[in-house]
Amino acid sequence: MKYFLIALDIIYVERKMTSSQAVLVEARNITKTFDTVVRALDGVSIEVRKREILSVVGENGAGKSTLMKILVGIHPPDSGELYYLGERIPFPKNPIDALKRGISIVYQERGVIPHLKVYQFLFLGLEDKFTKLGRLQLEKIIGTAKSVFDELGIKCDLGSYLYELPLSTQKMVEIARAILSIRLATGEGKEGEVTPLIILDEPTAPLSIEERDELFDYLLNLKKENSFIFVSHIIPEVMKFSDRVYVLRDGKIVAHHDLSAEKVTEEELFREIVGRESYYELLARYGYGQEQPEERPTVLTVRNLTKKGYYTDISFDIHKGECVGLFGPAGCGKSEVAKTLYGVLSFDKGKIIMDGHELKAKGGPYSRIQKGLGYFSGETGKELFLYWPIRKNVSIINFEKVVRKHLVAVPVISLRLEKSLAEKIVKRLRIRAPSVDTECYSLSGGNKQKVSVGKWLEKSPKVLILEDPTIGIDVGAREDIYEVLLEMKRNGISMLLVSDDPKEYAILCDKILMLKEGMVQRVCTNEEFRGLMGL
Amino acid sequence: MSQTIVYREWLHRNLNTIVPISGLLLLIILLRIANPFFLTSWDSVITLIYGMSFFLIAACGLTLVILMGSFDFSVPSVLKLSAMIFAVLYPSIGFLSIPSALGVALVFGYVNGLLLARFGIPSFMATLATSMVAEGLAQIISGGYTRMITDPAFRAVSTTMILGLPAIFYWSVGLWLVAILITMVTPFGRAVYAIGGNLVGANLAGINVFRVRVLVFMICSLFAGLAGIFYASQIQGAHMQVGVLDTIPLFASVVVGGTALTGGVGGVHRTLLGVLIIRWLDSGLSMLAIDLNIRMIIFGAIAIVMAILTIDRRRIKIMK
Repeated sequence: MKYFLIALDIIYVERKMTSSQAVLVEARNITKTFDTVVRALDGVSIEVRKREILSVVGENGAGKSTLMKILVGIHPPDSGELYYLGERIPFPKNPIDALKRGISIVYQERGVIPHLKVYQFLFLGLEDKFTKLGRLQLEKIIGTAKSVFDELGIKCDLGSYLYELPLSTQKMVEIARAILSIRLATGEGKEGEVTPLIILDEPTAPLSIEERDELFDYLLNLKKENSFIFVSHIIPEVMKFSDRVYVLRDGKIVAHHDLSAEKVTEEELFREIVGRESYYELLARYGYGQEQPEERPTVLTVRNLTKKGYYTDISFDIHKGECVGLFGPAGCGKSEVAKTLYGVLSFDKGKIIMDGHELKAKGGPYSRIQKGLGYFSGETGKELFLYWPIRKNVSIINFEKVVRKHLVAVPVISLRLEKSLAEKIVKRLRIRAPSVDTECYSLSGGNKQKVSVGKWLEKSPKVLILEDPTIGIDVGAREDIYEVLLEMKRNGISMLLVSDDPKEYAILCDKILMLKEGMVQRVCTNEEFRGLMGL
Repeated sequence: MSQTIVYREWLHRNLNTIVPISGLLLLIILLRIANPFFLTSWDSVITLIYGMSFFLIAACGLTLVILMGSFDFSVPSVLKLSAMIFAVLYPSIGFLSIPSALGVALVFGYVNGLLLARFGIPSFMATLATSMVAEGLAQIISGGYTRMITDPAFRAVSTTMILGLPAIFYWSVGLWLVAILITMVTPFGRAVYAIGGNLVGANLAGINVFRVRVLVFMICSLFAGLAGIFYASQIQGAHMQVGVLDTIPLFASVVVGGTALTGGVGGVHRTLLGVLIIRWLDSGLSMLAIDLNIRMIIFGAIAIVMAILTIDRRRIKIMK
């Protein structure tokens, strides 16, 4: 449990930053408007100093990504000025142009190409600098790669395939590639003259807690030579590792903190991001999970569930209206257990009994949903039909509520029933959308997630499996989703939670199973769990 | 300025509707110029109906499969096989040959669906293979000969005149409407779009993907079988050339109507437009005495251009 405690403790890393550090890039009064309606950025000014980690935080839709895309030349700004080492320069026209200025970006999702070897990926698209008469100079490539890795302190075998590496190392390779591209674009040999500026767009999203720490150690090491803009909404990370923080809200900079000079608490930062109370106060308002009295009927029983290579001998009961959490680091088997219960994965041994009926190993989600199970994942791209209007996304699992039987007993979807059902959910969850006919891809991340959870609210299954229910969404949308989940819980819907955020367990769960390497280490109550986590 | 953006956005969103309609209008004008007798007499209208009806039925079935993101290359072969069974068995068992032909068609649909849904074989591969089987069976059943049926009752299935129009017109429009209703208003139709649009999401939403896939392939083959029966009745028999050159025009008419080959976008209602365009183009080109091979080249080119225009690139992350 040690690494959890380390991760949660807010250790302020010693910051040697001083205000005398030279300003590397400065953007002044950037304004950007999309489609004449949305003002994505409104007079935003930021400066990035040499050799620092600068965080830009804000809710989804606050304008973080737009700002970064302007800096690397994907979007042109409507107005604004850009200065490089105090000298005014035009905005980059495209990412290659930005590269020549020493600015590069590592995206959250694009990631690596798993079936390439490390050195192949490192020089992907840069090969023309390493060819002689059309032939790749493999020795030179590997030699350069070696020296770069030594310099940047990445320990891995250059000949191994990327999929063999841990996710954190993959991210490091991506960052190394960004630095290397800048060096090659600005001219080799002039090292030290150009300070590379690497923009990291939510780099830690797919990483487990200890992988995050590893990545940050690496970044702190690289800070000696490079500057970073770190886009994130994971507050503890931002507090722990960055030198300065800008808070963006509704396209404006609302706060700026120099963390080496002033003390800011997590709560204060939260409040600045959302502009209203944080979910710590939500915790206080709703209280924590309680152990359920034993007399409540058992809804779901899992006994000795085993899937080779993933998890072993998992046993637990879920009572009516109870929320059970599976907690552990990435790779502990928690999400595989959740997927097995919903029938996405099969199992080898053991039993799942729901309301007295044993579930088959290879039933598939179709048969599980019939038995009263539900599954809500935070990965909206997976679960939502992004190019469907909201109403269709709601009714896809609620056909029985929108169908009328006409002649010859053919079920016919009634547009009126469908619309009123969707409108109810849009209103209940405060989904910001022009109408229920709005296609889901045009909604913000939080609102997409609300559509996802809303359809289950209407379905009201007996057991709802939650996998990272609030991943990647802002604090405001989080509150709305917790509120709905807690209401469902009060109405007697049982839940199983799998997540990375211990606070989520504290809010939702009554009983928590600690998993490690596919086995249950201990079962604790909400109170014990909070004690362990220091919450 | 903003007006232009709104206008452009609208144009972009409705491109797959505007292109087929304006294409059809353009085609009518061109055909009218090239042939002064085009659509001037009732007879020419009836000829057009005969030329299009069986084709529309087959195309409707195919549209369902394409909406689901799959392919069915066996449609022309199943059409031929069912026409052949109908014609070969008719002299001995009469109209009982219709259920026999449709039964065989359904078996082909079931096998196609099973190969995809149970064994995970990509549908274009599976259906190419089953189309070979259907071709072979048709050859064996007919012995390679053309089967002519002179019984007026056989011919009446398609050609009975009702209110001045042949029966096949009502059959095809009726089946077209049925297919539209299935896709537009039933949960089953929603499931077809869901599978075509986001397979993982459809599975997570508790859609019985296996059942829907098999059923859609069976419906497609049933429509192909019906098309074969009406066509056999219309031409008074069956021969080995039935449906031979129809694969590309069938796919072209689905795509020209605005249904994307990637699945999830479009609809059966659009296929009527595509069929009108492709069949009119075909008959127009043959009226102008353009060589069959050149016609095939033109159809191939049109199919490619329309595929480019209708595929919504936002929805495709990776193209392989």
